[in-house]
Amino acid sequence: MTTSNLQVFDIKRFSTHDGHGIRTTVFFKGCPLRCKWCQNPEGLLPKRQVLYMENKCIHCLSCVHTCQKHGVRFLKDKILLDRNALEDWDKIIDACPTRALQFDSSSYSVSELIQEIKKDESFFRYGGGVTISGGEPFLQPEGLLSLLSACKEEGIHTAIETSLYVDQEWIQKALPTLDQIYADCKVFDSTKHKEWTGVDNSKILENIRYLLTSDKKDQVIIRTPLIPTMTATQENIGQIAAFLSSIYPQTHYEILNYNPLAKSKYAYLDMDYCFEENPKLYSPEVMESFYRVAKENGIQNLIIE
Amino acid sequence: MERIQILKEKMLSQPRYVSIEQALIITRTYKEHENESAQMKRAYALYNALHELEIGIEPEELIVGNRTKGVRYGVVFPESGISWVDRELETISNRPQDKFLVRDEDIITFRKEILPYWKGKSLEDVLRSRAGHEIDAISKVVKINQKDHAQGHICPNVKEWLEKGPSGLQKEAQEHLNDCSDNQRDFYRSIVLVMDGVKDFMMRYHDLLIQESHVYPAHASDMKKVAAICKNLSQRPAQTFHEAVQSLWFLFVILHMESNASSFSPGRLDKTLYPYYKKDIDELRINDQEALEIIECLWLKFNQIVYLRNQNSAKYFAGFPIGFNIAVGGVDEEGNDFCNELSHLFLDAQEDLGLPQPNLSVRLHEHTNEALLRHAVRVVSKGSGMPQFFNDKAIIHEMEKLGISSKDAKDYAIVGCVELTTQGNNLGWSDAAMFNMNKVLELTLNHGRCLITNDQLGPDLGSLSTYETFEDLEVAFQKMMLYFIEKMIPCCEEVEKAHIDILPTAFLSSVIDDCMEKGIDVTRGGAHYNLSGIQMIQVANLADSLAAIKMMVYDQKRIGAKDLETALEHDFQGYEVMRQLLLNRVPKYGNDVEWVDQLGAKWAQFFRDTLRNYTNYRGGLYHSGMYTVSAHVPMGQNVGASADGRLSQTPLADGGLSAVYGRDLKGPTAVLKSVSRLNDDCTTNGGLLNMKFLPEFFKTETGIQKFCNFLRTFVDLEIPHIQFNVVRREDLLAAQKHPEQYSSLTVRVAGYTAYFTELAGDLQNEIIARTSYDNI
Repeated sequence: MTTSNLQVFDIKRFSTHDGHGIRTTVFFKGCPLRCKWCQNPEGLLPKRQVLYMENKCIHCLSCVHTCQKHGVRFLKDKILLDRNALEDWDKIIDACPTRALQFDSSSYSVSELIQEIKKDESFFRYGGGVTISGGEPFLQPEGLLSLLSACKEEGIHTAIETSLYVDQEWIQKALPTLDQIYADCKVFDSTKHKEWTGVDNSKILENIRYLLTSDKKDQVIIRTPLIPTMTATQENIGQIAAFLSSIYPQTHYEILNYNPLAKSKYAYLDMDYCFEENPKLYSPEVMESFYRVAKENGIQNLIIE
Repeated sequence: MERIQILKEKMLSQPRYVSIEQALIITRTYKEHENESAQMKRAYALYNALHELEIGIEPEELIVGNRTKGVRYGVVFPESGISWVDRELETISNRPQDKFLVRDEDIITFRKEILPYWKGKSLEDVLRSRAGHEIDAISKVVKINQKDHAQGHICPNVKEWLEKGPSGLQKEAQEHLNDCSDNQRDFYRSIVLVMDGVKDFMMRYHDLLIQESHVYPAHASDMKKVAAICKNLSQRPAQTFHEAVQSLWFLFVILHMESNASSFSPGRLDKTLYPYYKKDIDELRINDQEALEIIECLWLKFNQIVYLRNQNSAKYFAGFPIGFNIAVGGVDEEGNDFCNELSHLFLDAQEDLGLPQPNLSVRLHEHTNEALLRHAVRVVSKGSGMPQFFNDKAIIHEMEKLGISSKDAKDYAIVGCVELTTQGNNLGWSDAAMFNMNKVLELTLNHGRCLITNDQLGPDLGSLSTYETFEDLEVAFQKMMLYFIEKMIPCCEEVEKAHIDILPTAFLSSVIDDCMEKGIDVTRGGAHYNLSGIQMIQVANLADSLAAIKMMVYDQKRIGAKDLETALEHDFQGYEVMRQLLLNRVPKYGNDVEWVDQLGAKWAQFFRDTLRNYTNYRGGLYHSGMYTVSAHVPMGQNVGASADGRLSQTPLADGGLSAVYGRDLKGPTAVLKSVSRLNDDCTTNGGLLNMKFLPEFFKTETGIQKFCNFLRTFVDLEIPHIQFNVVRREDLLAAQKHPEQYSSLTVRVAGYTAYFTELAGDLQNEIIARTSYDNI
């Protein structure tokens, strides 16, 4: 992959929850974290992968007939994939009439992405713009920077959603081209952070400190996704809140309710989800108790939707 | 408001019956005046109906009047159609769409007293004998409308009616009568006569209210007040807001009584009624709460008139779209934003009642006041599908190109569902015909033969496998389009002629500008503007089919022409893989893919441009619209399997501008972009774009704000119309059953969007459980 080409697993237009106005969200592929609850498991690996959606499949076996190295087999009324087989996967996927088989991502040049983003220019006029999400956008740092500056040249409002697990120099370089920054602070305890996300959180906390002391600190929103038994403890929220308010009490902080929808994506990738029994959304009462903890720990700008 | 609740419940609990009361009066009148002209016979029939029809009131009503004593009765109207009534009387109470109860004794009376007189004389029968063969010959491609009922679809000059009242109009007609030519005499006589009936009708309500006020002492004071209003209106024009609203309702009751047609449109009532409202407010005669109560009483009345259609027509226009269309907002005569307290009160009334009528429309433009827009969006979020939105920026300049003055174009209103009209001066004949472009494509691909019946419906220009290039196919398609357009125009003319001969309408003519001055009935071309509108059905399927053929057969050569022909002939049986390729591997209209959208836009333009070569029987222009009411279902039944992967006889895209349901996968902004590629001159008769949203979207102020922004861009993109359905539980249940039809349905929880049909069953159930919406 060259630096100018970006691996993107989705471009979602009319995305209305990732920043102000009507937005186009570009999902960069690849992530250094391995959060147990990841909402976009297809975004984890930097390379493109083959997705199989069983409910779209009509069992026409076009794929089985096209493959040459047993990458796709039909056994007991089921299509089975060997994603590591040395197949011409482009050809196999092209043969699928229903798109039950597809790549999870495509490669775009910056100008191709700008072209896609500009399709909704006329909507951005009333507030809105592009949000870069992932995966982890900073895992493709050079491409990210050129995309961001290209957006600014076009006058497009830019937002990013990042884990902040990235060397600070990249954040410094990106900051002038970013209008809004959503950053996760998932788990405060470093041992638990390593356990649930696979990486140490010291770099993340340092970057949060950097952002919240920068001149863009009011454009930063720190978020914690509530994951039952993992991030969703009073203790964790309290620690995060205290950390943030110690740096900048006016920090914009948002606690996101658990999202039960991610589970179904795991099946497409033959992956296992962290909960066998999918938990439910937290009730408004429980959400309120988390809000209370955050406020008690000094958060002054709690975002509640 | 207790009064409104009581009236609403009373109305909704009443059963719908077929009524032959007026038919008996009409039949007797025609026999008594056998030697008079049609103009006079019709006027006498209306006059007698106004005198004799049984009337009723409810003690709680602040606005009174209906054309039958019971609410929502289906009125048999012999002048327009009688044969179908005879055929369907026994099945009307259990037909699939829009049932009515029928009293056994009425069936006997109908066959004995009414039917024999009208055989061969009604509009339906006359038209059948004059042009039945020609109309039938093209019926699988073109549905010619208004064959067994009056035209309707017109916006009377409400302002003038309120200012003059029946006495003023009668006086004008009388003056003309004293000084007119022989061929104008009956026209003016008919108006003078009818206005006597109108005044009497109003007085009958006065008398009934006074009489009943003794029975309901608790309501007596209100009833006497309403009685006084009826009496005043029978003598002089309206003076107060309450009088104006009552006067307006009398106007529409009588228009329905005269024509028994769909879609008489009140138009821009926030403009027309405002002087009355303002004066009452300024003089402390009324407050906003009282005004709202009067408005809601009127809103209830709009739901009390339905229209009896034949079984086939009920499929095309399902669910009683009677079309009391009210437009609020928009620009004023100078092009500045127009909006006032009434605009908001109308939205409040819609929000309170959530009933199907009136059909409430908000006119948007670049400077629409933010408060009105937000209010309208909030009402949309309640889920009644209203208000719908029209775009001044897309509409006004195109109306001007049709020869409509700038003043009239800026003052446009809507009739029926989405048909555009000027106010008070235009017989737009907006529902002249529906032209099925997809059937034309089918015939082009198949030697002019119908895929379903194998009948030869059009000329043999070849078939898919004989067209060497896509361009050859397009040449043949163009010829086939022209063939049917040429066959359609004379049929439309025959319908207009029959209406002139059989259904002159004195009362309507008195409230349409220029008829009075010219001494010419509106059916005969008396109106200032005379247009005819024809709908093209459906651009989405056409674009998708042409794109599939172009890409798969001609460009990529992935599917053989002969193979596709065979597959279509066999309704894809044994060709499922090919069908899936056509469905999933070719871009579709509605996804902001320019070349696909342009295929639709190109043929919409061709249809519109071709129509402009013709003049209608009244001397006006033909123009085009892109909407269906429910016609995409029966029109789909006429079309065999199509190259977009659609199975034989299944529905076409809904709406008119909308993508095929489930095929717009790039979200609402992409849909708007695609639709904006259709030229606005194709939709001067009206366009219709449907969109679905989940209720979650509107739950927050931010969501409402984003929705407003979305509509601002809708204005900028110059799309003529949009309406929103809020997705309900039933939709999601249907999506579980038929995922293929709902693949574009997205759901959202806690910051994440997914395609509903791609979620696992238990998650789907969870979302369904969360998406309960008050049924209205």
